[in-house]
Amino acid sequence: MSAPLRRVQQAPRHLLVSEKGHARHPRSRHAAHVRDHAYNCRVSVLIPECGILPEVLKSTVADFGVYYLVKNLSVHELVAREFIDSFVKKGSCYALTYNTKIDQDNTAALLPTGKLILSVDKDTYEELGLQGRPSRYSGKKAMRYIITIDLTDSDFHPDGKKHKRVLWALKEKKPLEFDFLMAWYNTGAEGSTLMSYFPKNQIRALKPKITFSTLRDLQCPALQSNELEGKPEESCSTEELFEWLGAVLNQVNLDNKSSSFISTYCCPQPNTTVDQAFLCTITGFIIPDKIIQLLEQLCSYFSEPKLAHWLTLTVHGFADSPVSWRENEHGFHKGGENLYNFVVFRNLDYWLQMAVGTHDDCPP
Amino acid sequence: MARAEPPPATFERRVLRSAAGHHYLRVRLELPDGGARPNAAQLKQLVVAALKELHGEVGAALPVDVLTYEEKTLSAILRVVSSGFVKLWSALTLLGFYQNRRCAFRVLQTSPFLLALSGNSRELVLD
Repeated sequence: MSAPLRRVQQAPRHLLVSEKGHARHPRSRHAAHVRDHAYNCRVSVLIPECGILPEVLKSTVADFGVYYLVKNLSVHELVAREFIDSFVKKGSCYALTYNTKIDQDNTAALLPTGKLILSVDKDTYEELGLQGRPSRYSGKKAMRYIITIDLTDSDFHPDGKKHKRVLWALKEKKPLEFDFLMAWYNTGAEGSTLMSYFPKNQIRALKPKITFSTLRDLQCPALQSNELEGKPEESCSTEELFEWLGAVLNQVNLDNKSSSFISTYCCPQPNTTVDQAFLCTITGFIIPDKIIQLLEQLCSYFSEPKLAHWLTLTVHGFADSPVSWRENEHGFHKGGENLYNFVVFRNLDYWLQMAVGTHDDCPP
Repeated sequence: MARAEPPPATFERRVLRSAAGHHYLRVRLELPDGGARPNAAQLKQLVVAALKELHGEVGAALPVDVLTYEEKTLSAILRVVSSGFVKLWSALTLLGFYQNRRCAFRVLQTSPFLLALSGNSRELVLD
C-alpha cells in the first residue's frame, strides 16, 4: 500500500495500561498512582445495586475541600521566598494555569514536589532567558520549551545566583501573568491559608461541583477480578469494561440491535441487569490527596456485605496540564486525554486502567 | 457449605499500544438558518452522505454509529472503526450542505477512549 493510503488508515497513537492487584497488599501501588497524577478535573463514582449516597462516602463527599481561582497572578510571586516557605515547603501546594491551551499558549504549573514547570513557546523562551529543554513533542524545529525550576532545592535560596536569575527573568525580563487554579493540602497545624496570603480582590474560593444521579435498569458486564483479559462466556475484559463505562457516563443507549441503522453499540457479553446504580460526579480542581481518601472509603464500602460485585472510580486529568503522571510531559495533539479508572471488587482486588493520548509518555 | 474465597489477585500489568478498535468524536452540527432540525436517523444519513461525497461508495460503507444525539443542541457522539477515523473526520470537515441548507460540523472532542469524552477540562466552568 502506498504511504499516503497507509496514512489515511492510521489513527493517532494512544496507550492503555491495565493493572490488577489487591488493595491491601503491602506493596500495592494504587495510592502511588493516584498521588503521581497531580491535576484532576473530574471524578466519577459508579456503584451498581445502590440507590442513594452510601454512609461511608457521606463525610468524604460533603467535605471535598476548597480550591482557589487567583486572577492575574505573576509567576514571580510563586518564586517569592515567603510563598515557598509558607506553602511549598509545608504540605502540598498545587497550582495550574486556568484557560490556557498547552498547544498554543504559555502554561505554568506547580507540583506538590516543589517543582515549577513552565511550558512556553519559542519566543517567550528566548525572551525569558532561563535554562530549559525543547519539548519532546515539538518535532525537528523546536517550537515549545519546558523549563523546570526546583523551588525546594538547597541551592535555591534568596542570596543564591539561581534565585536571583529566576526572579530577574520572571520579574523584569519577561513578566508572565496568568489566572491560576490553586489548592493547598496540609495535615499539620493551621498556618496562613492561601485565602489570607493573596489580596481579597484577586482570589476567590470555590467548592467542587457535586452531582448525584440514580440510573435504572442498567446492564453491567460480568467481571472476574483475576481475569484481566476476560474469559469467553464468563467475564468481560478490561477494554470492554472501559468502553462500557464510557458509554454509561455519556448516557449512550446500551441496547441496540445489530441491524439498527443509527447505532449498533450494545453492552459487552456476559452481562447482568441491575435495578439501580448510583452515579456521583465531582467537578473542579481536585487534588490527589482527596481522591486517595475517597478511594479508601470506597474500599471500606465492601466491609459490609453488599449486592454489588464491583464499583468504579474514574478520574479525568486536565487536557491542558503540562504534566500527566509525575513529571512526564503531556501534550494535547488531538485529545489531550490523561485519565485513569479504578474497578474495586468485593474482595478488594482492584483493576486500574490508565489511558493517555499521542503526546504522552507511558504512565508509570 | 461455604464456598472458598478465591485468593487475592496477583499483580499483573498489560500495556496496549494503539489497540483501541474504535475512535469516538463528539461533534455539533451548526445549522445557522434555524429551520427544522434533523432527527437521529437523518443525522446518520447526513454522515453517510458526507462519506460518500468524499470517499465514494467504499467510504459510505464505513461502519459509523451515532451513539448519542441531542436534537436540541444538535450535538452527537459518533463511533467509527479506527482505520476509518481520518476518512470520517475529513468527510465531516468538508460537508457544506444539508438539504440545500448551509451547515457545518464542528468537532468538539475526539478520543480513542469513550470515557475521555465524558469530561472535557476545556469546558470547565467555574461559578
